[in-house]
Amino acid sequence: MSTTFENTGTVIEIIHLKKSFGKNEVLKDVNFTLKRGESIVVLGKSGCGKSVLIKCISGLMDCDGGEIHVLGKNIPKLKQRELDSVREKIGFLFQSSALYDSMTVRENLEFPLTRHLRSKTKKEINERVEEVLLNVGLLGAIDMIPSELSGGMRKRIGLARSLILRPEIMLYDEPTTGLDPITAKEISKLMLDMQKKYNTSSIIISHDMNCARLTSNRLMLLMDGVLYAQGTYEELEKSTDKNIKAFFE
Amino acid sequence: MHMTFPDSIKNTLVEINETARFALRFFREVFIPPYEFKEVIRQGYEVGYKSIPLVGTTAFIMGLVVTMQSRPTLVEFGAGAWLPAMAAVGIVREIGPVVTALMCAGKVGSNIGAELGSMKVTEQLDAMEVSGTNPFKFVVVTRILATTLMIPILVVFADTLSLFGSFVAANIKGHISFYLFCSQVFEKLVFMDVIPSISKSFFFGFIIGLISCYQGYNSKKGTEGVGKSANAAVVISSLLVFIIDLMAVQITNIFMKY
Repeated sequence: MSTTFENTGTVIEIIHLKKSFGKNEVLKDVNFTLKRGESIVVLGKSGCGKSVLIKCISGLMDCDGGEIHVLGKNIPKLKQRELDSVREKIGFLFQSSALYDSMTVRENLEFPLTRHLRSKTKKEINERVEEVLLNVGLLGAIDMIPSELSGGMRKRIGLARSLILRPEIMLYDEPTTGLDPITAKEISKLMLDMQKKYNTSSIIISHDMNCARLTSNRLMLLMDGVLYAQGTYEELEKSTDKNIKAFFE
Repeated sequence: MHMTFPDSIKNTLVEINETARFALRFFREVFIPPYEFKEVIRQGYEVGYKSIPLVGTTAFIMGLVVTMQSRPTLVEFGAGAWLPAMAAVGIVREIGPVVTALMCAGKVGSNIGAELGSMKVTEQLDAMEVSGTNPFKFVVVTRILATTLMIPILVVFADTLSLFGSFVAANIKGHISFYLFCSQVFEKLVFMDVIPSISKSFFFGFIIGLISCYQGYNSKKGTEGVGKSANAAVVISSLLVFIIDLMAVQITNIFMKY
C-alpha cells in the first residue's frame, strides 16, 4: 500500500468514511484523495462534520466505518505507537490555536519536538524553535505566555507549533475564524508561504472564502454527510447550484 | 412488576461507574512507561508548595481556636493540665488531616477541575495527543500522583503549625512553657495516632486528585462546563473526604482499643 501511495503521489485517501454521534449520522459516505503538494479547502455549514473529518484523519476520533489511508497507513487499524509515528508527519492547527496556557511560547513549541524527536539536543531544539518563530514573524514573543498574545498572534504561534516537526500534511481547522479581515488575510498568506516553503499537502476547513480563494487548489463542499461538490474556486464560483452559490454570495 | 429508576439515581450510578473506570485507567497507566517525572515534580510544586500559606494559616488558626474553646470546660472540671494532650490528639488524629484535605479540595480541586476543563474545551488535550503525548498520562496521572504524595506532607506541616497555634492559645489565658507543652503532647501522643492519620491522608490526596481530574477531563458544554467541573470537583471531593474519614475511623477502631 505504501509503495502505491508513493507512486501515485497520494498522501491521503478516504474511502467510504462514516461517523455518527448517536442517531445523528454526520459523515455518511465520504470519499476523496489528497495529492502531494495539493491544498483542499472543505466548505460546509456549521455542524456538517468538517472538523469531525479532520479529527478522524488525525486519529483524534474513531470512525464508524470506512478507510482512512494517510501516507499509506490505514489510521483506524493502527496501534498507538504506529499512530504516533504517522502523527509526526501531520501538523494540526486547531480552531482555538490550542496553545498550552501554562507554558511559554518557547515551551509550547518545544513540546512536540521533545515528544517526537527525543534525541534532539537542546541547541538543535532552540534553533528549530527560533526558525519557525522567525517564519511566522514572532521571534520577539518567544518568552511570552499565551494569555499575553492577541488572537492573530495565537494563530501564528499555533501555526508555528504545527510546522515545527516539518510535517508532510497540514490540517487546518478554521484558521481564520474570529480574526479581523486584515489579520485573516495575513494568516492565509502565511499558510500559503509555509505550504510553498515546506511543500506540505493541506486540508483546510474554512468558511472564509477569501482564505479559500488564496490557499486552495481544490474546494470540496460537504453536505448531508457526503461530498456534494468539488472543483477549483473558479469552477464552483460559476456554478448555478443554489447550495454552492450560497457560499460565494 | 416493572420498576424504573428515577433519572437522577441512574445518572449517579453511571457517574460512579465512569469514575471507577477512570480510576482503573489511572492504575493501568501509572505503571506503563514513559514516566512523566518532570511533570510530577512540577505538579507536586503546584499542589504542595503553593498550598503552604493557605494550609499553614488555617491549621494555625484551628489549633488556636480548638484550644481556646476547650480550655474553659477543661478548667471547670479541674482538667486544665490535660489541655495540651487533648489538643494534640484531636489535631493529629482528626483536625490536621481533615482540615488540610478540605482546604486542598477547595484550592487544588477547583484549580485542577477548571484547568483540565479549559484544556478540554480549548482542544489543548487534543493538541497534546497530536504531539504524540498521551494526555491522560501527562495531565491526569501526574496530577493524581502529586495530590496523593503532597497532601500527607501538608498534613504533617499542618499538624505542626496547629500544635504551635495550640501552644499560643494555651499561653493567652495561662502560662505554660514550650518544653512543658511539648512533653505533655508527646506523653499522650503515640505512634499509633500518627500512622492512621498519615495513611488516610494518602487516600484523601488520591480522591481529591481523582475526582478533580475526572470532572475536568470530562468537562462539557464550553465555558459553562468548565465552571461546573470546578464546582463538582470541590463538592464531590469534599464529601468523599468525610466518607473516607468515617471509614478510616471505623477501620482504626477495629485495630486499636481506645
